[in-house]
Amino acid sequence: MVRLITHNLLACHAKGCTTNNFPLLLKDVQIELREQEFNHDFIKNILPRLEWRALVRQLGDTSLPLEQPEMTDDEFLQKLHHVLLEIHVVEGVMICPNCKHSYPISNGIPNMLLAEHEIG
Amino acid sequence: MAPCDYLFVFAQAHEEFRVPELRSIAELHGFPVGFDRYTTEDLADVVRRPFMILKLEEEEHARLLANRCILIKSIYEFYAQGSTYDDLHEANKRVRSLWERYIPDTSFKFTVIGYNHGLSQRRQRDAIESFAYMDFLGKIEMRHPEITLGVFEEYEDDRRPDGCRNVDGEFKQAYFGRLVAEGTARSLIRTFDVKKRAYFGNTSMEAEISLLMANQTQAAPGKLMYDPFIGTGSMAYTTAYFGAHVYGSDIDGRQMRGKAKTPGIIRAAAQYGVAQRIIDLCTFDVTRHPWRCGGLFDAIITDPPYGVRAGAKRLGRKKVRDDRPPPQVPRPDPNEPYIPPTKPYELSALIADLILFARYQLKPRGLLVFFLPTVTETYDEVDVQAALCEGMEIVANSVQGFGSWGRRLITIRKTAAESYPSPTFDSANINDAGSLHAPAHKDFREKYFQGFK
Repeated sequence: MVRLITHNLLACHAKGCTTNNFPLLLKDVQIELREQEFNHDFIKNILPRLEWRALVRQLGDTSLPLEQPEMTDDEFLQKLHHVLLEIHVVEGVMICPNCKHSYPISNGIPNMLLAEHEIG
Repeated sequence: MAPCDYLFVFAQAHEEFRVPELRSIAELHGFPVGFDRYTTEDLADVVRRPFMILKLEEEEHARLLANRCILIKSIYEFYAQGSTYDDLHEANKRVRSLWERYIPDTSFKFTVIGYNHGLSQRRQRDAIESFAYMDFLGKIEMRHPEITLGVFEEYEDDRRPDGCRNVDGEFKQAYFGRLVAEGTARSLIRTFDVKKRAYFGNTSMEAEISLLMANQTQAAPGKLMYDPFIGTGSMAYTTAYFGAHVYGSDIDGRQMRGKAKTPGIIRAAAQYGVAQRIIDLCTFDVTRHPWRCGGLFDAIITDPPYGVRAGAKRLGRKKVRDDRPPPQVPRPDPNEPYIPPTKPYELSALIADLILFARYQLKPRGLLVFFLPTVTETYDEVDVQAALCEGMEIVANSVQGFGSWGRRLITIRKTAAESYPSPTFDSANINDAGSLHAPAHKDFREKYFQGFK
């Protein structure tokens, strides 16, 4: 935790932050790789909800194709499984590119609480 | 294969949860369960007794149910019943075609069990001998018989109405059948015992109930669950145990973390071998949530804060003074983590918001499973109906009573196919002057501390 799948599902919802609020920029990160059992159905089911471009850009390598593929064979799902579930941001900060709110990650748990002036 | 009758032997607890649990697991596996012997009125009474005769299409379905439903003790292929042994034997002889295949050379044993009355060895032997007409030729095998034949004597109560002990033979009903499946899920109640958990708190949900909740969500491999008031994680362990992946969030990060470096929820999840399936835990106020999109979850499972043991709160300020300047960007203090102000979250507003949120965040056909505390004397079914929004339908409503108050496990299905936007979480501001009946759970916290007077 924080897994890359989660980073792909979180946006900044501070007051007024409605554009350019995703993906959050990761900074000062401490990464850990942890092996996890592959579940074919789970990966297949979450695929339609992913923001593919953001995922590939965050990953920063070529292990996943730039465009979400039409055919999803087991080999592809296994690679996706590794990216989504086996890469953990244990410490660091997530920063909103729009309002610059800083969400700290501590022991794998992000603090997404908003400040008083951000809840409107 | 034509549907057959099966004799279900149930645990005598959480009676209102029995039928919803059964229906939920049958639906998960996609097979029907026939309740034709009982009208809706009958059902309310029969769930107070341990025995029910239900129709299943296949024996395999009985095994699937017994393997997952924690309220099932065992399931038998039903042969006969009677208010006396004579009646039972007559009925049993009429269904000879069901058991004659076992006559030639099947090893067997009999068990004779009394409910609300202990049966002596002598009595058990006499009962078994009365079945001699079945003429079974196979070996009697006490340890690993090929089939087990179960005889049940159900006594009305543990004492007679006059207060005397029950008399052998004066039972309400006797039942007879062939054992098909033992209830293996019941042992999970011990497995998930909170007292043996690596991490728990005073709001942790008891094992039996968190298992029933997980069964209401139809948790299974490939599915994704979410608890927006996860606290110490009780519902995450049981849903993850049944194969689902889980997200959890809470406004209070300390509840999820505990005091050790590895978050408490992860330590407890590791104890059950399910830590990997807790995808992430996040600290946030669900009314100001950071989810990028909706339609993520197969089920939302939660025990929302009633405001009694856990403060039911949300971000914001209780008293907004007109003479106060607008909130400033907080001055960062490197020594103190910024703690945003919170205000109380009244229960009926929270529930209405939760249902709206579930409609946004569930996949179509997804399930919302949550506990609603209520005041026994003033509760009315309309309390729950009125909290619903369009596209959400009640599937089950089972009460766990504590005298003057109780909590109801509500299961709601998202029947809407369209997507909805994230709700504004302002149910508290909706003018309900038009409605005549304030729900029993409104201002629950205040009512609780006033002793429900």
